[in-house]
Amino acid sequence: MDEKEPFGERQAARRSFLGRLGTAVAGGAAAVAASVLPPEPTRAAADAPAIPAIPGYDWSKHHWAFGVDATKCIGCLRCVEACKAENEVGADAHHFRTWVERYVYLDGEDSARVDSQADPVNIEASGSEGRYRFANRYKDAKVDKAFFVPKLCNHCTHPACVQVCPTGATFKTDDGVVVIDHTYCIGCQYCVQACPYGARFFNPKLNVTDKCTWCYHRITKGLLPACVEVCPVGARIFGDRKDKDSPISKFIANNRVAVLKPETGNAPNVFYVGIDKEVS
Amino acid sequence: MPKHVLRLILLLVGLGVVAIAARTFLVDKSFYEYGHYRGNAVAEIAQDKPKFQGAAYCRSCHAAQFAEWSKGVHDSADIGKVVKCEVCHGPGGGRDPQHGYINAATGPIHPDNLKLAIPSDTRALCTLCHEQMPGRPLQQAQIVIEDHAGTQQCTLCHNPHSPRTIVGSLAAPEHPGDAAAGRDKADQCSGCHGAEGVGAGLPGPTLAGQNEAYLAAALKSYKRGARSNPMMSPIAADLGDRDIQDIAAYFASLKCEGPPNAAERVAAAHKAGASVCANCHGANGIARDRSAPNLVGQSKDYLSDALKAYASGARPHVVMSALAKGMSDADAEKSAAYYASASCK
Repeated sequence: MDEKEPFGERQAARRSFLGRLGTAVAGGAAAVAASVLPPEPTRAAADAPAIPAIPGYDWSKHHWAFGVDATKCIGCLRCVEACKAENEVGADAHHFRTWVERYVYLDGEDSARVDSQADPVNIEASGSEGRYRFANRYKDAKVDKAFFVPKLCNHCTHPACVQVCPTGATFKTDDGVVVIDHTYCIGCQYCVQACPYGARFFNPKLNVTDKCTWCYHRITKGLLPACVEVCPVGARIFGDRKDKDSPISKFIANNRVAVLKPETGNAPNVFYVGIDKEVS
Repeated sequence: MPKHVLRLILLLVGLGVVAIAARTFLVDKSFYEYGHYRGNAVAEIAQDKPKFQGAAYCRSCHAAQFAEWSKGVHDSADIGKVVKCEVCHGPGGGRDPQHGYINAATGPIHPDNLKLAIPSDTRALCTLCHEQMPGRPLQQAQIVIEDHAGTQQCTLCHNPHSPRTIVGSLAAPEHPGDAAAGRDKADQCSGCHGAEGVGAGLPGPTLAGQNEAYLAAALKSYKRGARSNPMMSPIAADLGDRDIQDIAAYFASLKCEGPPNAAERVAAAHKAGASVCANCHGANGIARDRSAPNLVGQSKDYLSDALKAYASGARPHVVMSALAKGMSDADAEKSAAYYASASCK
């Protein structure tokens, strides 16, 4: 014990020295930074809050949200084709900003068989990778229960994908849309891994990550997202939650809505009606 | 100050200068304007031009088609079912393919340098929504295309802009016929069609309970020569428009009703290959649409002769000619036999 005392004192002295050094360096750096860096432009400091230069659009007046009524979906996949056309996602069967899943419970089976438009059987039925239709593969089977579920980015309130982005290329706008700045995206795909919903994909043509934007270029012009525009049965609902009369506000008020994987804490903003226990 | 401490401080200051320089010169000026991202990116993403133009845009040139559509079942906003123009015809706006992908400006919008598709294979198009498939909600109209249409295109019978409008439908008569007056004028018909309009065992088809509009149209076709028959043509030539309406009203008022449209009857129709016929003529031979005649009470010979006349072109009809040509002789015989079994007595 006696032999270790001097060592202990030396250790304490080194710790206090490092502490003082750290304080001095931080203080010096702060002083240098304060003199060199321009002041951070903050919206709170400005007289009028700055908004992005989108003609005729003020993002502080909107809070967008999406609804899916799966009880109405007929699986026609017009939304998927419209999204690809509107956003030039590429006419292949591997990259989708939105997609539709089919859940089929056959007689005597406990779990659902799930397929989407990208399933090889369905691609064969459509005859092309750029056109989509569900093959009638269960027409002769004994089906206990079956339904379609449209899926897309949930534009979460606490998006994990935004949190992990190392370059600030993906972010949530003030009106509630998660988008990607393709000029800042380095294609690391960390966000693809982070998304619990599989809503993001890597675009090999552009070497960036891509995802649903709720057609931000349309909604900021007063139009509906392309998938909502073409849905022939009203299974997709879109609107402004700040407007109590908007379709989405009424949809949420008049239905018991659910979100996918609430346990992940992402707080999705796509609200579902008519999904089942296996849909996540 | 010891040398190694001085070196450490210089190194840290150097790193700080590099960091500040990078922050000042490399990072976009709008970064952190609204948060940890490039503020200008928001407006860049929003500047992209929409491709789908909406039905109102189409209306500006295609007013007639728009009017048909907006009155039809494909524009039923009250039940949330609206099939807009661009669902079937594709988006009106196109992008310039040379312009790249990121925030590309829109290329020419229809009609500039761009024609929209007029779908030709309606069997493939319409079944995207209307094919009978597990998982589709019950309220969605669904068909098995082979049973419903044989090998024909949907547009043979349906107006695609307003599908409940059947091609070749008959207009309502100008004057409602008078059945009592028609009874006197119909004396000459009884020889072949029976005194009560039931032609069982007689050369002519059963007319009792037939659709009034169909009867009037048939007489008018004989009169103007669109249909010809050694007996009917000269008789019809002597009838005035008023006589035709009255006679049609008289025979329509007589009774000839088939058995109820029970499930086994529908199944039998499918077995006989008559499920296509049932779309218009009903599974029990009572027509679903007034443009089509009732088949109940007709003889097998009369029905198969009619099918042959349609197939050969002797009796042209917009829907029946194509359907009859697509039927095999065996199917035609079976269908005729099936409907001949639907007695109305």
